Amino acid sequence: MKSKTLQITLIYTIISIIMAALCHKLLTTYFSSSEYLYLSLIKDIVFILITGLVFSLILSKNEKRNITIFEKLNKTNEEIKESNEKYDIVAKATSDTIWDWKIQEDSINWNKGIEGVFGYDPAEVGKTSKWWFDKIHPEDSIRMSIKLYSFIEQKTEKWQDQYRFRCADGSYKYVLDRGFLLKDETGRAIRMIGAIQDITKQKEEEQRLKLLETVITQSKDSILITEANSSERRIPKIVYVNPAFSQMSGYQSNEIIGKSPNIFKGPKSDSDELKKLLRAIKNEEECLIETITYTKNKEEYWVRFSMIPIFNNEGVISHWISIQRDITDEKKLETEKEHLIRELTQNNKDLKQFSYITSHNLRAPLSNLIGLLNLIEDIPIENEELQEILAGFTKSTHLLNETINDLVKVIIIKDNPSMQKEEVSLKEVFENVFSQLSFQIELHKPIIKLKFDKVPELITNKAYIESILLNLLTNSIKYKSENRKLKISITAEQIEQRTILTFKDNGIGIDLERNRDKVFGLYQRFHNYPDSKGLGLYLVKSQVETMGGTISIDSEVNKGTTFTITFKN
Amino acid sequence: MLEQILCIDDDPITLMLCKKVISKSSFSREVITAQNGEEALHHFNVLKYAKDKAKKRPELIFLDLNMPIMGGWEFLDHFTSQDYREFNTVPVIVLSSTIDPEDLAKAKKYPIIIDFLSKPITQPMLEYLKKKIDL
Repeated sequence: MKSKTLQITLIYTIISIIMAALCHKLLTTYFSSSEYLYLSLIKDIVFILITGLVFSLILSKNEKRNITIFEKLNKTNEEIKESNEKYDIVAKATSDTIWDWKIQEDSINWNKGIEGVFGYDPAEVGKTSKWWFDKIHPEDSIRMSIKLYSFIEQKTEKWQDQYRFRCADGSYKYVLDRGFLLKDETGRAIRMIGAIQDITKQKEEEQRLKLLETVITQSKDSILITEANSSERRIPKIVYVNPAFSQMSGYQSNEIIGKSPNIFKGPKSDSDELKKLLRAIKNEEECLIETITYTKNKEEYWVRFSMIPIFNNEGVISHWISIQRDITDEKKLETEKEHLIRELTQNNKDLKQFSYITSHNLRAPLSNLIGLLNLIEDIPIENEELQEILAGFTKSTHLLNETINDLVKVIIIKDNPSMQKEEVSLKEVFENVFSQLSFQIELHKPIIKLKFDKVPELITNKAYIESILLNLLTNSIKYKSENRKLKISITAEQIEQRTILTFKDNGIGIDLERNRDKVFGLYQRFHNYPDSKGLGLYLVKSQVETMGGTISIDSEVNKGTTFTITFKN
Repeated sequence: MLEQILCIDDDPITLMLCKKVISKSSFSREVITAQNGEEALHHFNVLKYAKDKAKKRPELIFLDLNMPIMGGWEFLDHFTSQDYREFNTVPVIVLSSTIDPEDLAKAKKYPIIIDFLSKPITQPMLEYLKKKIDL
């Protein structure tokens, strides 16, 4: 524009000087000096008129052109304004975070999303791409920048990427970023505008679903999903099986999908159980069955099988989920166990019968012996040797009788683990026991201390408690020390919900170091006494336990023995 | 004192003991014996069809349980049936060496059994029975 103005001015100046010089020459040559003044005025006027005309022509032409340009400019301006407004509205309206990156200048602008979504203060937000890249999770940043630059270099058509973007509070959000390039006339990328979408929720849900899916794919139980066309009253088509199912049944997922689970049915399948299943399908109810089923190779196996209906939001059944487990081994074990129990029960019954018969057969002749000895007692015998022999005979017979009676008690306890309990007066029990032992008590005169005023009565089995005390008392007398007078103390206490009977003597004691495990065993004898049968403590323990109690022993050789019996009330 | 009692047992020693102890205690004037249930039933059959209705009848029975040919329970089943209803007032005392609790439970089902005693028969036992049957 300037050059053109200069050009016009130059042309005009040159033409004006030439014209002025030419006119001056013509006027001085052809006219007189008086005429010259007059003509010079006319010439100046004509010249001014002509130049004015030319200028007006040029100016009007310029003005027209300027108006067109101005109008054009104005229109473009309007368009840009509108477009900018639209961009602002979109940037405000969208929940996405918009960024605008001038690539050559490396300046980047963010919309409000960077505050709203990621929590950054506007002052914190950097103005270069470095700030952006710094916020990307280290595990994602390299992959992301490779993809981004290959897009900028236009090696790829589109760009969108998922990565983790750090928030102001240091946490990461999963984002989906999509961007577009703006290019100059030469096709070079000069600007890129992108939108970042927060997909953390979707991503978390996706991961949750993935985790849940691993439950199905990794489960050792077989899982099978079928359609739900229950209207036809048949087992609907399979839509999914997990790997465990394929392993169990031998069918690969592609071989089985679309088929009906009827193919697992076989000759040995339990038809009652299958009817139960069909009924549950009809009623849209959960059900659990156990049946024999068949693999692809027609091998049978036991399966425990549950069917659960799945309803959609409208409450209409959409699928059935079936969880199955191969219980062949379990069934086998169960059968073996049942067989074993039957066998053991029979054995036990036989043994019990045997012990009854044996004891009966032993008792029958023994009772004859006792009866006969009773008769002999009434016959006077003069011969001293015979008297001695008969005394030995009587003693042995009675010992045999006691032993057999103890054994019988054991057998009966073991056979009848439950027995009748009643309110028993301890005073009465002691009186009975002492009267049974009156002979020994009279003979050895032990000092017996009784203390049961705290527990005058006990809910227990009278025969058992008498037998227990009789046995313990007999033992104390039998195993008393020869060096000191026998002292026995028996106390009954109530501690919380327990009744505790303590039975203490100062006898010869038992070496518990060596015998702790055997004290209450069957046929255990710790002292070489001729009339010890090795049954007493075994019987005591059996009786205590049958009444739901416990017994423990504390003993020291040559000091004495303490038995503690505890009953729960 | 009872006039006549019947002891049913396969073991001759038991029977001998019964006889001796009973006579010593003056429990009964006469003790008759049978070696098993069948023999005992035969005795009652004879009594049933005897012309001499005044013939002595046992007033008490001591009964063993385990016997060959016919045991105590089988005997009781016959003896308590309609066939022997004229004798159903005769009390029975089981005298056995059994320890099987089932036997004891079974005995409770027969009202005719008035006691269940363990062998051997003794004088104190008879004294106790005397009181029981009000002799």
